[in-house]
Amino acid sequence: MNGLVLGGTYALLGIGLTLIFGLMSLVNFAHGEFYTLGAYATFAALTLGGLGFFPALVVAIGLGALAGAACERVLLRPLRGESIDTTMLVMIGLWIALQNGELLAWGGVAKSIPHPFPTAPLTLGPVGIAPLRLFVVVTALALIAASWLLIQRTRLGRAMRATFQDRETAALMGVPIDRVHTVTFAFGSALAAAAGALLGPIFLAYPSMGDLASAKAFCVVILGGLGNLAGATVGGLVLGIAEELGAGYVSSGYRDAVGFVIIILVLLFRPSGLFARAERIG
Amino acid sequence: MKRIAGALAAVALATLPLWLTSPYHVHVAIMAGIFTILALSLNLLLGYTGQLSLGHAGFFGIGAYTSALLTLKLEWPVWPALAAAAALAGLAGWAIGRLALKVRGAYFVLVTISFAGVISLVSVNWMELTNGPLGLPGVPAPELGGLSFRTKIAYYYLVLAAAAGSYLVCHRLVHSRLGRAFLALRENESLAESVGVDPTRTLVLAAVVSAAMAGGAGALYAHYTRFVSPEVFLFSYTVTMVIMVVAGGKGTLAGPVVGAVLFTVLPEALREAMAWQWQMLAYGVVLILLVFFLPRGIVPALSAWRR
Amino acid sequence: MLKRWWWTLPVALVVGALVAPAGFAQSPIKIGVIEPLSGPVAASGNYVRMGAEIARDWINAKGGVNGRKVELVIEDNKSDPKEAASAAEKLIVRDKVPAIMGAWGSSMTLAAMPKLEEYGVPMVVETSSAGSVTKRGNPWIFRIAPPSDMEALGLEQYVDKLGAKKVDFLAVNTDWGRGAVQAFGDMLKKKGVEIGAAEFMDQSATDMNAQITKIKGTGGDTLFLTTAVEQITLVLKQAQEQRLTRKVITTGGSSSPTQLIKQAGAAAEGSYHIVFFMPWFPEAMPDGKLAKAFVDEWAKRGHPFEGLTEGFRGHDGIATIAEAVKIAGKDEAKAIQQALWKVSFTGVNGPIKFEKDGPAGKESGQSKPSIFVVQIRDGKVALPDFIAKK
Repeated sequence: MNGLVLGGTYALLGIGLTLIFGLMSLVNFAHGEFYTLGAYATFAALTLGGLGFFPALVVAIGLGALAGAACERVLLRPLRGESIDTTMLVMIGLWIALQNGELLAWGGVAKSIPHPFPTAPLTLGPVGIAPLRLFVVVTALALIAASWLLIQRTRLGRAMRATFQDRETAALMGVPIDRVHTVTFAFGSALAAAAGALLGPIFLAYPSMGDLASAKAFCVVILGGLGNLAGATVGGLVLGIAEELGAGYVSSGYRDAVGFVIIILVLLFRPSGLFARAERIG
Repeated sequence: MKRIAGALAAVALATLPLWLTSPYHVHVAIMAGIFTILALSLNLLLGYTGQLSLGHAGFFGIGAYTSALLTLKLEWPVWPALAAAAALAGLAGWAIGRLALKVRGAYFVLVTISFAGVISLVSVNWMELTNGPLGLPGVPAPELGGLSFRTKIAYYYLVLAAAAGSYLVCHRLVHSRLGRAFLALRENESLAESVGVDPTRTLVLAAVVSAAMAGGAGALYAHYTRFVSPEVFLFSYTVTMVIMVVAGGKGTLAGPVVGAVLFTVLPEALREAMAWQWQMLAYGVVLILLVFFLPRGIVPALSAWRR
Repeated sequence: MLKRWWWTLPVALVVGALVAPAGFAQSPIKIGVIEPLSGPVAASGNYVRMGAEIARDWINAKGGVNGRKVELVIEDNKSDPKEAASAAEKLIVRDKVPAIMGAWGSSMTLAAMPKLEEYGVPMVVETSSAGSVTKRGNPWIFRIAPPSDMEALGLEQYVDKLGAKKVDFLAVNTDWGRGAVQAFGDMLKKKGVEIGAAEFMDQSATDMNAQITKIKGTGGDTLFLTTAVEQITLVLKQAQEQRLTRKVITTGGSSSPTQLIKQAGAAAEGSYHIVFFMPWFPEAMPDGKLAKAFVDEWAKRGHPFEGLTEGFRGHDGIATIAEAVKIAGKDEAKAIQQALWKVSFTGVNGPIKFEKDGPAGKESGQSKPSIFVVQIRDGKVALPDFIAKK
């Protein structure tokens, strides 16, 4: 059950990153920081802004999108032609700056994010699940579905996919490449922020929370294949569930190794990832 | 011009303890030297063959632990332990190379990250071997005849020699046929293949040399700080290495050296320059600015400037 | 063209900072402080720093030590042993501090120890609990925090009253967690208590449900929990969700019961906590007046109440060093080291006096801190029911 909660959020993180990684060929080390931003934004909206829980979530996601867009315009667009390592380095710098900025702003003490759900677990058959977690799963799945719809059905989604397939042709066909880049990055970051906003109340908010999230997101992207939305969704769920099972039946200390081992195994036997073709960087 | 600069640098480095009298500065120089070796090793993979290995801290850590364990538990003398450490790391490099180089690009990156992650977890959990989080204190310092390398100055020269050696190895490698094969693979793999370059064999070779170097650096680190704990596998070490290589200028020989020195000195300089709250934030900002204005790295920018 | 000049700025900064003189004539007494001020345990490191600053201000308000002001030189070890060693080196060589307090985590302290010996500078260890810190034969180490086995001894008298027959452990996978499991396990076994499961969690793990499930299955009646307050919160909440109904006792003194009540709420009800400072009843501490004054000053500065259970360490560490400087009559490293053996006063935690610990001839100093047990009852911190019932 827990696997679904984690899995749903991993999927959100993964989808965001696979879009950014796949479309923009950007090794986004700062992805985890947007996750952290989402959590802290929720906290701020709730405690400082006095908003309700659900509006706070919306604000957090919106802030994630805005931050992503700003980041793309200011940092990434000028570096568009450079090699992938250069952009990766800029994201590393952003990661360090953001995380330490958060440390400065909020202090190192973890913040607990209040939520309106009762803590007593609901029982669904043999399984007990806290209402908050149920909400997280449902919302995560809803957001995932919404993302799919966006990518598959809307003009914007088509533009994104076109740019991903073949940039020059897309440009020739009149797709506004610059705008697509900004929107894609903003969208990916918004999803990360959503994951942070959702998981924040379950766990706690602290400046380094994004690091583990980043790592998991990268795992998910690989599992599903670069740029593959369906893959990322399934990958995220698989990782979440596998981790829960792994920790339960194998040693708990090695729990995080599950993700890594899966990757190695997948790459050994299905080098192109579970779903997609092999990609080359650079 | 280049020759004179090189000669000057060599003299400066050889006489460093004379003009950098503070032992703290010598300490920074030693760390810079160790990271130079690390950066050079990563550059072999990243700069010359175009493969991004994000698991390099894994090789570093394997080298550190191997040497520490051999000298502590089996009471080997330090020099063979150093060699063994490099060899074992090289072996790991071979294994990862064979495994991972079946795939390229992003997938290779992920495998290397996973490798480092798994090794890190093993070092933390396998208490009997590594003492887990409690670490291995009291790693001995090397001795040659009667001369002990415990003193900073002696160790500095040891590291200097190792760094110079690594640089030479890289230099020879890059200018050899193998080196040209690396470059060919980096630029256009299928074309290289068509002229007879065996990509897997070549890349694996690069991985082995790269890993062995990183392992050697790890062993040097272990015998200097005389304390090894699972923190050597921290991803932040890999990140630091990547920063050094890319900001310094990947694909050049001087780049990683410049990058290593700059980014070892920078955090220490920030320690002096500002209160603890701002240090890392400033580090991040400096990095962003550096990449922004010098996207290709420092050394390429310098050579372009001179033209 | 203009762009290219910008990069000279960071380079100039770097060169300038290195070459600039280390300091001017030293009239104030400098004490180095190395703590994790960033990274996963940044909260704890900062609390210790805040306590240290209170000590400094109080000392200076009373005229300083031997007529000179105390100045703290604070460095961040970034939760990385390599940084701890570098910070120690910088403090000793560049800032010329004659004494240091640090470095919070045991691996950070262990990494810095060779530097202490190299330069001959004493360090007061305020938090690290690994036994090896004082057993390695480093005569420059003086610890005021209890190692895990001392802590376990402190609990021994209450084991029967707790009524524990079968105990499980859940600890963070660090030197501290493992050391605690070892120490408490040995103590409990000697008392004939059965040990069930010993589970570990990664320091940054947020989901401990798997471990809790395993523990549920052992049939034990008491759970010993050793980790920092954030993880304790998560464990308690998840245990409540899984309906784990057994006594919980946290060790290590970092459980910050007030924060637990706030963040874990009902899940923390009934839990016991080993602490080294009871800010809820400062009058019950060995020096009640001092403890109360500390609590009040902390509140006056707007620091969060929950930080008190760690902040006092910073205060006692600095107070100890200051006391040693007073006895030594000068702020010179060797003199301070010798003076530390003569130190005997009462800090916020209780009496501080060092005994020899470790291999003969190279002993470190270890003080015997006071150890207390509290319980969370009715949403408040209280003396444990087995004591209060008297």
